[in-house]
Amino acid sequence: MITQTAPPTPPAAVLPSRPPVKRRRRRPDLFRTLSRVLIMLIVIVQVYPLAWLFLTSLRTEQDFATGDPFALPSSLTWENYARAFDTGDLGRNILNSFIVTMGANILIVLLGMMAAYAIQVLGFRLSKLVRGLFLIGIIVPVQIALVPLFIDYSAVNLLDTYLSMIIPLAGFSLPMSIYLFCSFYEYIPKETYEAASLDGAGPYRIFGLITMPLSLNTVVTVVLVNSIFIWNDFIFANTFVLSEDLKTIPLGLQNYIGAMGKVDWTATFAAVCVTITPLLLVFLVLNKAMIQGLENGATKG
Amino acid sequence: MQPNRMLPNRSRTSVLVFLLPPLLLYAAAVLFPILQSLFLSFFSWNGISDMEFVGLDNYVRMFVADDIFWRAFMNALIYLAICLVLQLGGALVVASLLTSLRRGRELIKTLYLLPAVISTVAIAFLFIRIYSLEPVGLLNQLFQWVGLDHLERPWLSDVNTVLAAVSAPEGWRFTGLYMLIIYAALLAVPKELEEAAVLDGASRWTLFTKIRFPYIRPVWITTTIMATTYGLRGFDIPYLMTNGGPGQSSELLTTYMYKAAFTSTDFGYASTISVFIVVECLVAVGLILFVLKRKADS
Amino acid sequence: MKKMLRAAAAAAVTALALTACGGTSSTDPSNVSPTGEIKAREISWLLSRPADGAVINIMKKLAADYAKEHPGFELNLITTPDRPSYIQKLETLAAANKLPELFDTDATPFAQQLAKQGKMMDAEQLLESLGIYGNYRPGALDYQRFDDGSLYMIPFQFELEFIWYNKALLEKAGVAVPTSLDDIPAMCTTLRSAGITPIAIDGQDQWPLERYIAYQPFREAGPEFVQKLKKGEAKFSDPAGQKTVNWMAELGKAKCFQDGFSAQGYSDAQNQFTSGQAAMYNIGTWELPSLATDKLDPSVRNDIDFFTLPTTAGSVTGANEFVSPSGIGMAVNAKTYDPLVSDFLKFALAKYPAEYAATGALSPTTDVETVVPGNATPLYQKALDQANSLGSKQAMPWDTQLDPTTNGRLQQELVLLVQGNISPEQFTETMDKTIAQNAPKFFK
Repeated sequence: MITQTAPPTPPAAVLPSRPPVKRRRRRPDLFRTLSRVLIMLIVIVQVYPLAWLFLTSLRTEQDFATGDPFALPSSLTWENYARAFDTGDLGRNILNSFIVTMGANILIVLLGMMAAYAIQVLGFRLSKLVRGLFLIGIIVPVQIALVPLFIDYSAVNLLDTYLSMIIPLAGFSLPMSIYLFCSFYEYIPKETYEAASLDGAGPYRIFGLITMPLSLNTVVTVVLVNSIFIWNDFIFANTFVLSEDLKTIPLGLQNYIGAMGKVDWTATFAAVCVTITPLLLVFLVLNKAMIQGLENGATKG
Repeated sequence: MQPNRMLPNRSRTSVLVFLLPPLLLYAAAVLFPILQSLFLSFFSWNGISDMEFVGLDNYVRMFVADDIFWRAFMNALIYLAICLVLQLGGALVVASLLTSLRRGRELIKTLYLLPAVISTVAIAFLFIRIYSLEPVGLLNQLFQWVGLDHLERPWLSDVNTVLAAVSAPEGWRFTGLYMLIIYAALLAVPKELEEAAVLDGASRWTLFTKIRFPYIRPVWITTTIMATTYGLRGFDIPYLMTNGGPGQSSELLTTYMYKAAFTSTDFGYASTISVFIVVECLVAVGLILFVLKRKADS
Repeated sequence: MKKMLRAAAAAAVTALALTACGGTSSTDPSNVSPTGEIKAREISWLLSRPADGAVINIMKKLAADYAKEHPGFELNLITTPDRPSYIQKLETLAAANKLPELFDTDATPFAQQLAKQGKMMDAEQLLESLGIYGNYRPGALDYQRFDDGSLYMIPFQFELEFIWYNKALLEKAGVAVPTSLDDIPAMCTTLRSAGITPIAIDGQDQWPLERYIAYQPFREAGPEFVQKLKKGEAKFSDPAGQKTVNWMAELGKAKCFQDGFSAQGYSDAQNQFTSGQAAMYNIGTWELPSLATDKLDPSVRNDIDFFTLPTTAGSVTGANEFVSPSGIGMAVNAKTYDPLVSDFLKFALAKYPAEYAATGALSPTTDVETVVPGNATPLYQKALDQANSLGSKQAMPWDTQLDPTTNGRLQQELVLLVQGNISPEQFTETMDKTIAQNAPKFFK
């Protein structure tokens, strides 16, 4: 029904092998070796902490307490993982984090697309002002909302619910999502819409049949970038959640704090390793789509 | 009159249908709390007794009588500067290096993003160990190995180094994100331009300053704004690593505001600081746009 | 747009006004024996104790027992072990007027304001009405009291704080156990020159360093000093104040604490002591399971001992008087107090001490005997015995006494003073000014 024009291909970004254009190589080897070494060094700096985290989670408590924290462990043990699962309710924490992350993401993506569609595609007189209004959300620190939101939630009985976490998390991430969708929609050729309009499609149809399907890469980007923040969010969960049943991962990690602030670190690290695994897996699987989406958003912004 | 409009026929209702739900959520979660903060900033309130209208007292106290506030403000600026250098500078360097690489780009991009997924609690603890002096941590160990013993110090307890020490992990965490964006922009620089410049005998440096950078300037502005606002929001890592100490050496406006609200239960004064932070962020973004755009025009 | 803003502002005002004024409670805080039917329901206890610790495990079990007789009863334990997060949660809940049936708090100025507004039950009358008031150790109750002597929190623990030390390291450096607080700086200098870290301290959590500033005034002027200081009636520039300020500066100059202590956490500090790297460690009996059982590293197990807080020449408090806290206390919400809460507390508080003492800890009551665990070293019993010979006064931790703003500032300035970043004069001036600014608001 609707004549589908070719989706906008991302610019050169994804061409894997570039034709070797630079033929000028008088001291190329020095430069390239140097940049290789530099890149390797930086990669080590970036990856090392994760490796350290994992290794530490396999250390015995004794070894962790007395040994050199940066040397290889003298013996490996899974006991920390046993203790981590024993003390905390990791399964439930992960489930809760999952629910909150998904809930917030659905709102962020759906509402982000809608707003961007209204601002960028439909257009209206005050669109500049609305865009500016949303920009404030990118700018202001989330901490300022804590006290007011707490008061509001208790007034409408929203405290200690999934929604109490989802609303501010989604609200503060919405602007960036709108921004990314806007910059993407800007590049959907006008002709695509005109053709659809001529076929008699209204704004709702066009949104559902053209705009939404085309946004897939940007959706993945938005979801992944936000998931990183939301999965590890501490401040809203800590303020709005009370009951054990609703605790997300960052709150669950507090279960390893003993009397007067004494922390069972090896168990904590085991728990950290367990809890970042889902995020890490999704991240590794969808990594390519995310990078592409980010690159699109960026180069077209 | 309506430059943005792409759809020839659309009704006013359809705009509302698409715009209202996001606007409502946004108003409830972000705009309304900001207004409430503004309102609270004219009161003295500890949360449990009656609110007392004090007019501009909180603002007077903040600007005139509070030495910690100004200290925290300066610290926040330095913190921001360090984060920006690490994130943007680091991102630009690595992105440039990556473009000269032939294989393994995808892998490196992925690895580079990894720190972003680790929770701040773990990051804070790791860096406390790295900076430690007694027992000797990784950083001081490195200095020992290369013979720079005089540089050894307790980085987080030394009032001169602590601010830099808490800024570094924050900068390090998100470098990968900005690198990706800048990398993509660099790839989009038309090859013909570069080739022409190379034929004219341009050095790598001229190539970069005259061709590449001007071309990615719009992306650079976006990235700078993102990094600046995240930098001004910084909270977790300084809070967890030093809680603002020693003394007020690593106190930021955000941590100070948080303490005013939840340690001192001075919700009115905390809201006053909040209002200041909002204004500060708006000014910062305005400045960036002004400076970078004007450079682009000249 | 303008209209919308105005509407939003108006709504904001209403929301705030609603929550701010809705706080008057209908129950009389001294009506400890409510009449009426016991209707089983779920009640909550907001607490800040280790998730897997003795208090929570015992109360869970007691609640389950009680539920057998009263179907439908449930005790919902909401714990936030991290203290700063907990305090934030408590304050926001109080602001929203949503405090649960039971909640934990120290005898802080904030808690006193809650009590003044009639939000907490009078614990003295409550315990009397249950017939168990006399069972409690006077010291355990005193720790929970406000300055005016009123009691609103019920203790669940009783701890004694000692300075633990490594005999072998002291011997190696040729120093003896200090007989006076004033001996400690010189002792540290000697230990340092022998290459030994004198004292391992958890600087990150801040309360451990704040303990030290309480010691000299407690010896010099007794427990009243801090009570006056916090209201601005005594000053750091007074003799007792100056003595402690200068002493803290001396501790710093003698490098008593490990380098970079301000960023080191609880476990790090303890590990330094238990692995034989530091000579002394100041901690309470809650650490008996790690310091006086076979869990302790065998290489130091026979070298560990403890001494109680040294006195000074002319000390007004005795050697058997030191820091003996009864932990964070439990307050009973006056608004939700009813026959059920009363009946459950009667049931639980009667059975709690025996269960708690069976875990090897000191009960806040005297009617039970602590069971020493099988893997304990002789030091365990020696530590418990100290509880029998306590004097009538105790040194209060200052973090529960000062108003929160002053307390925060004190913790920050103290690190600077000990690190030598500021002089004792600067410290005195800043702190006296801070107290003068903040105390009036909290102690009206």
